[in-house]
Amino acid sequence: MQPAFDESTVTAGTGRWRRFSSALSLLMLGILAAFCLDGLIFRIGPYPKFLEPDSAAGEFELILQREKEAQAQYGDNLVATLGDSRLGYYPRVSAQISGRTGIMLRNAGMAGTNARVWYYMMRDLDPTARRYRAVVIGISDYDDEDGYFDDADNLADLHYLIARLRLSDIPEFAASYRTAAARFEVFRGALFKGLTYQTDLLQFLSHPRKRIDYVKLARSGYPVWTWDYVDSKRNLVGLQIDWATLKVTDPPDADAVQRDSVRSFLAHPAVRQTGNLAAYRREWYGKIIDRYRGSRTKIIFIRLPRGAIPRPANLVHKLSSSVRELASRPNVIIDDEHAFESLEHPELFKDGLHLNDEGDTRFSILMSEEVSRLLIQAGALRKPRPDGL
Amino acid sequence: MVFNTIGFFEFLAVVLALFYTSPLRLRRYVLLFASYYFYGSWNAKFIVLLLTLTVIDYTAGIWIPRFAPGPKRKAVLILSLVANLGFLGFFKYYNFLASNLAVLAGKPDNAFYLNIVLPLGISFHTFQSISYVVDVYRGEQEPVRDPIDYALYICFFPQLVAGPIVRARNFFHDLFHWTAPAVDDLSRGIFMIGLGLVKKMAFADQFAKVANSYFGHVAERQGWLPAWSGALAFGLQIYFDFAGYTDIAIGVAKLFGFHFPPNFRRPYLAASITDFWRRWHISLSSWLRDYLYIPLGGNRGSQLATYRNLMLTMLLGGLWHGASWNFMIWGGYHGALLSVERSLPGRQKADDISPRPSWSAQSLSYPFRALLTFLLVLVGWVFFRAANLTESVAVLRQMFHGHKGLPLLEPWHMGLALGSLAVALFEEKLDWFERLMDAPVLVRAAALGCMLFCLVVFGVIDTAIPFVYFQF
Repeated sequence: MQPAFDESTVTAGTGRWRRFSSALSLLMLGILAAFCLDGLIFRIGPYPKFLEPDSAAGEFELILQREKEAQAQYGDNLVATLGDSRLGYYPRVSAQISGRTGIMLRNAGMAGTNARVWYYMMRDLDPTARRYRAVVIGISDYDDEDGYFDDADNLADLHYLIARLRLSDIPEFAASYRTAAARFEVFRGALFKGLTYQTDLLQFLSHPRKRIDYVKLARSGYPVWTWDYVDSKRNLVGLQIDWATLKVTDPPDADAVQRDSVRSFLAHPAVRQTGNLAAYRREWYGKIIDRYRGSRTKIIFIRLPRGAIPRPANLVHKLSSSVRELASRPNVIIDDEHAFESLEHPELFKDGLHLNDEGDTRFSILMSEEVSRLLIQAGALRKPRPDGL
Repeated sequence: MVFNTIGFFEFLAVVLALFYTSPLRLRRYVLLFASYYFYGSWNAKFIVLLLTLTVIDYTAGIWIPRFAPGPKRKAVLILSLVANLGFLGFFKYYNFLASNLAVLAGKPDNAFYLNIVLPLGISFHTFQSISYVVDVYRGEQEPVRDPIDYALYICFFPQLVAGPIVRARNFFHDLFHWTAPAVDDLSRGIFMIGLGLVKKMAFADQFAKVANSYFGHVAERQGWLPAWSGALAFGLQIYFDFAGYTDIAIGVAKLFGFHFPPNFRRPYLAASITDFWRRWHISLSSWLRDYLYIPLGGNRGSQLATYRNLMLTMLLGGLWHGASWNFMIWGGYHGALLSVERSLPGRQKADDISPRPSWSAQSLSYPFRALLTFLLVLVGWVFFRAANLTESVAVLRQMFHGHKGLPLLEPWHMGLALGSLAVALFEEKLDWFERLMDAPVLVRAAALGCMLFCLVVFGVIDTAIPFVYFQF
């Protein structure tokens, strides 16, 4: 029996590298073919038009489409608002008083989103960065309080933005995630969009006819559904929080969602302050501001009504206020942080942090008036005549 | 380190680089060290067990030829078998036996229970060791002189944890006549790895979700539609899972210049249970045939003796999969089906019942026979997958007596299943894989691209679902 890997029997190593380079070329060409196929279907193909309307990407696309159509419908007084679900207001109420405010508020925000998503929303909604009189960014606190979750590592952003991400966006978008694991996942999912669309695609393949019909319905109905939307009339009257012990006394008829939202978003202990939120805000609000540098569009930060009973400022020692830092840039306006404190009452909230119908209505009026006032003050809007003309 | 993780491919890239940049005389050390590292990444303690068995069987292989045929020679063989089966029995079957004995003795079933962790791949490397020692004993295999070579045979990482069970003669032929893999081999290796990943991540793992959701909540999923959905999903999961693992193992071995035999040959196209076992887990079924069925007498005796041998072989084959009555029943069920097939008048050899492109009665009846075989196999999988006998009976009752219920498989699952059936039929009739391997590089790249795209849109990427056969 001869020894293993014997020099006398083993084929000489000539052409070894050629063999390996041929095999590697095959592998690379295979990956390239998969990439092309993915791009053909999900990047330049029609698939993004058939996204599930109730999915993150699907709703993002509907909002984008709705607001693009609104640009054509309305004149020169459009103001885009950006925010998450806490930015609860009725654009139709704002429209009713547009005669006296001189502006028309349109909501380009979306529940669950944050600054990174808003940047891409505005990039594709307003490619010339000149269409809006102002972009209003609603946030819950001008100070930077790190929470349980690090927004920079929010993988949901990939799903909101997947239809919007271009090849050239991938390096910057992936690099904006903090951890290596998240960066890799986002890079992979943005490069091969099929990975991110997978659940949507499998549902589509199961019931294609149903999906196409629903997409048609949603595309035609979404602007009206959202315009006519009326929020819940529930409230939190009776809610009490002992901030020393974080003990909550719930309203007698509170449901699970209400109880949970109060504990998760209001009566929670402070977490370690890392400065991550500040870095994230500086990066993405900074990008939004940079897009509008030299444009007529003002960037306005407003502090939203913070909750049914707002968290006392002394619960956490906040390390910075990135928004106040950004306000020193040209074109940026920061609203009085107390402007909407009058709404921070349990009877105006449907749960711990979302306004109810009455709250939305009042906030719509207050915000329209406040934004109008700020724009007039900045010389970006002529004072409307009392007759609304 | 599991084949369907990035960690494994990083490991593979490092080992390939080390292997091909090392001088020839060091390459087996590279492979040996890499294999122990691979095994140790699960549980380093069991490397000792692996080494112990390696030393015992290596020594047995050296000693056996020193004795003339007779009691001494046999004693060495028996010592080796006792050591191998002793370790396997202790780690795999002790608790099963202990719980049954406890129940018989009227004690709680955990009265003699020991907290034993099953060493990964023990069933596979034990069978590989046994085949080597028995082959040396029979004079069919020359003993390996160098312990490093023997150790590498036992622990070579692509096949260490879940096979295929490689025969010594095949492995040592590759080792002692090693040639650097040609472009064709490397290309095949890459394709096999790609195919294996698709089978595992795009097919097996998707069907696993359905199977797990059914078998995890049998009591809540009443009706024959969910029961058949669950059984079908598991039937597809286990095939794609194990075949996927094997394809990756074969592909990885090819990159190092080793050639493993095929372990699956489109088993769900089988036209009979006999045919099924010639296509399913071929390395195990041929091992059982060569080292159990034939030594028991095979089909050389009376009809009754043949049935007994079949039953014994399949019962032990079932038990090899796991220490539970369910696996025994699964083995017995297949043994009984094989025996019934043998007893049928006009029984033909598997070669004759393979699908043929002709209009003979044999060919026309093929779809019905294949469907019947598939359904019989699916029924068997219920015992294999269910948590215990009671659950198996509950599932079978639902399959045959339940009300309709709601299906668990979505239309796209059925699309995947039918698509894979089409690919399998295409391969069976036209041998597409071989044709593809002969095609120009751009065609091969396009095919590889399609496979990878399939992985993108169907693959379960975020969760590395373990391979089913790792538990055996």
